Amino acid sequence: MGHLTHDEFFAKLADLFNARKTKAHGAVYLTQKRFTFNQEETPSSEADPFADLHPARPLPILIRATNGKSKEHRAAKVKLSTVVQPQDLDAFYARYAEVCKVGMAALKPRDRTKRKAKAKKRKVGAAGLPTS
Amino acid sequence: MPYYAKSEDWLHQSALLLQARPSTTRITTRYHIKPARRLPKPDKAGVAAPSQPEETQQQQEAKPPRGHLVLKTYDPASGVTLKYKTSKAAEVTRLVQMLGTLGRRMAGVAVETTPTTTSGGGDEVVMGEAPPVGGESEAAAGGSGAQTPTPTPAAGGQAQAVAGAGAGGGGGGGKGKKKKGKR
Repeated sequence: MGHLTHDEFFAKLADLFNARKTKAHGAVYLTQKRFTFNQEETPSSEADPFADLHPARPLPILIRATNGKSKEHRAAKVKLSTVVQPQDLDAFYARYAEVCKVGMAALKPRDRTKRKAKAKKRKVGAAGLPTS
Repeated sequence: MPYYAKSEDWLHQSALLLQARPSTTRITTRYHIKPARRLPKPDKAGVAAPSQPEETQQQQEAKPPRGHLVLKTYDPASGVTLKYKTSKAAEVTRLVQMLGTLGRRMAGVAVETTPTTTSGGGDEVVMGEAPPVGGESEAAAGGSGAQTPTPTPAAGGQAQAVAGAGAGGGGGGGKGKKKKGKR
């Protein structure tokens, strides 16, 4: 399967997360790694055994997303991938964060109950003092 | 494969690993939903909390399935695995920001120091030009940090050597971060 554009990728990623919301279990896997396929690379040599440590120019990044279905569930597998060029990284990750935040809705929301209870107590105490 | 208690520690160690092996290391984010834990036995709950049984039980029944988030940095070449686990929604944005910081390292783009929460990984890695800030002790500290999770001593030594060679800024960044964490 070819790589998707960013717009397609985010749209389908949102679908992938939505599929998780309707069911009470399941997983979404997101992977990122350096994209080295078909890139002109300086091969490691005797003089420079770690040529990949300092590439001549920035390399793109490969982002993958899947629902982790394999083996007998292979038919239901969803695989998405996209390539992010180095100059698009910031824009991509800003949208990525947004999609992930919306998609990962089953995580524990920030717990404000304790603070609220404390605030109430303080209010009651403040109100109670002058009257007594 | 260690789980780090703090996302900052995970970010720092991952940054060091990426520095050593930028083209083989990958980061996987796993978001999974499990059904909520089964309810405690009713008789036990009744004994334990006789004063407010109705309220707590209602809360437990209404408990939605809980999501979990596991970040994993894995380098198949050396077998190093670094993990961080959370279930807090408040952390998602920050964690994706961290993924972005690490993504920049993967791409080989210079990571500029940002005043945001991800400053732990914001030390500079410019190709070939290690900043002269890192002394020997700092480089060694970075190396030992990268070594801890390594299962095979041979691969660990290699990673350590590489991290030590190019980890001037990394070690320095880690030092400040670790102090913060202990406070």
